[in-house]
Amino acid sequence: MKKKSINEEGSCSRREFIKIGGAVAAGLQVGAVAGAGLAAGKDPSTHTGWQHLGDNTQFVDRTKLVRKGPAYEIVGEILRPERQESAFGRQGLIMRDMRQYREMIQSFDAGEERQQGMGNKEPIPQGETAPEVTGGIGPPLGTIKFPPVEAFNEPMLSYYKARPDLYELDKVRMEEIMPKKKQDQENYGDYYSLINAWSGSWHTSERITDPPEESDFKIGRRRIGDPKPFKSPAHAARLIKKVAHHFGAAMVGITTIEPEWCYNYDLRGSESRDTYEVPKHWEYVIAFGIPHQWEQVNSNPNSGTSLDAYSRSTIAARRLETFIKSLGYPARRHSPMDGYDLIAVPYLVKAGLGEQGRHGIVITPETGSNFRAAFVTTNLEMEIDQPIEFGVKEFCEHCQICAEICPSGSISTAESNEDMHTRGYRHWEINQTSCYNFWMQSMGGMGCRLCLIACPYSRKNNWVHGLARKLDTTDPTGLIDNGLTMMQKKLFDAPEAQDYLPPPDGHFANYRQPPEWLQVKNYLDIEVSDPTIGD
Amino acid sequence: MITNLVIFAFVTGLLSGAVIIGAIFWTRDMGLHMTWWKWLLSAIWYGLLLFLLFAGFTFIGEGEPAAGWRTVGISVFVMGVLGMGMIRLLRKAPKVKG
Repeated sequence: MKKKSINEEGSCSRREFIKIGGAVAAGLQVGAVAGAGLAAGKDPSTHTGWQHLGDNTQFVDRTKLVRKGPAYEIVGEILRPERQESAFGRQGLIMRDMRQYREMIQSFDAGEERQQGMGNKEPIPQGETAPEVTGGIGPPLGTIKFPPVEAFNEPMLSYYKARPDLYELDKVRMEEIMPKKKQDQENYGDYYSLINAWSGSWHTSERITDPPEESDFKIGRRRIGDPKPFKSPAHAARLIKKVAHHFGAAMVGITTIEPEWCYNYDLRGSESRDTYEVPKHWEYVIAFGIPHQWEQVNSNPNSGTSLDAYSRSTIAARRLETFIKSLGYPARRHSPMDGYDLIAVPYLVKAGLGEQGRHGIVITPETGSNFRAAFVTTNLEMEIDQPIEFGVKEFCEHCQICAEICPSGSISTAESNEDMHTRGYRHWEINQTSCYNFWMQSMGGMGCRLCLIACPYSRKNNWVHGLARKLDTTDPTGLIDNGLTMMQKKLFDAPEAQDYLPPPDGHFANYRQPPEWLQVKNYLDIEVSDPTIGD
Repeated sequence: MITNLVIFAFVTGLLSGAVIIGAIFWTRDMGLHMTWWKWLLSAIWYGLLLFLLFAGFTFIGEGEPAAGWRTVGISVFVMGVLGMGMIRLLRKAPKVKG
């Protein structure tokens, strides 16, 4: 009996343990979910779904790794670096001296002048032969003959005398490696066409100064080569999209040119400022978008900027243009920093990147309205995309958040866009002039972008907003549309339209507070007048 | 590759096991006659609670504390009411045939 009682006590104890353990586990699970939620919300990689742009990419705490003492132990005379010490810096000096050396040999062969050492332009006296430094034998034109040490000017002369080992290495490079490389390039260069096109695309920055018939066919001053054929238009489209993504594009679409959507004036690079014929080689339009950095775009209209996405999309367009040209096809970029010869919005719609919203700009399924567009026109034949539909028209008809928050009242509150049309097309239209007038009133980076960030589609790319987007874009009933709009209005606070205006009408409010690294009080020791607090 | 997500999944998996075993003993001691649909209902309720808390704290983490705390508050209230209703359902004894 006593034994049974002990067993019962033990059994009871285990049971209680399991029960309490289960309850504790439930509590821990709630805590884990809360913590995971916080982490998911904070994760900078979900800001725009494009790339990691947070300020915490340097994740090792270096304060724990600090050591005492100077960076390096001093063991000799301290000298500043000379150009010739670096192999790259030395190459420039070598080429300069080799040019002189070659000129000298040519001059000597022509019997025009004598030069004792390069750079000495004294005439050659009558009856003299070749200078000692050449050994009397001039290299045939077009071949690389590395000059003897004595033939170099300062500082290379002294440097090579002190470092004969490097002279030998440089000589091997110039006389053997580089000619071999040239030969290899002729034999195998095509095999590396794509990587060379890709590599060359990263340092493109020249301005468009010639008309399309000139500039679209040149990389810098060099004319593009013969077009390299693709397996099919589908292969071409696939490669171009991949490359555009690697250049930073969040979304890419391809469509064909519509002359009606090209500006009728000021063709870039053309002397005429009047109308022009759309160039025949503009057959295809590659359209892509790159989102703004989340921290600052969220603090519009007075503490944000367009220039981050402008810059990124422009650089991507330059690279993509060069990539296509490197494969032998003419191309022209159209981007915020380099200008456009075409209208952005309709091409984004036609290329299937998104739908035009009530605020007049395009809403994409991925980043909502938070992106800036750039384009490349070309005659590279590619498989084209089709316009898409994911419920934006219906959503915008009942949402109206952008119209309600617009400080200048530039966005229509009409129930639909049935009565709107621009140059023959029906779409949502805004009052550009009153919009532009508010740009001029706002502080920070010029512009507003409030409609862009207040749009419910322009939320972060974390799991909860991603799920909402996915459900919304696949729901034919409109119930989720209504539910999400209601949640947006009830859960997420925002200042009223009037608050964004300058004092005294408003107080330069922002949709959200700017990040701490864009607040003057945290970093600069200057007196500031803060218009955002009080009246 | 072991990522934070893998560790999170591992830990929550362990905790889920403990919660399920604990729940079995709780229901027995509370005299609840659990059937498949009662277990399903309980799992949905618990899963929904975790989902809503996850969403609320995600809002807080992304810099929307007002939206986050509202979501947490509304979720706890709604799930509390639903939970009480569910307990009443769980206490119903299964019908004895014949």
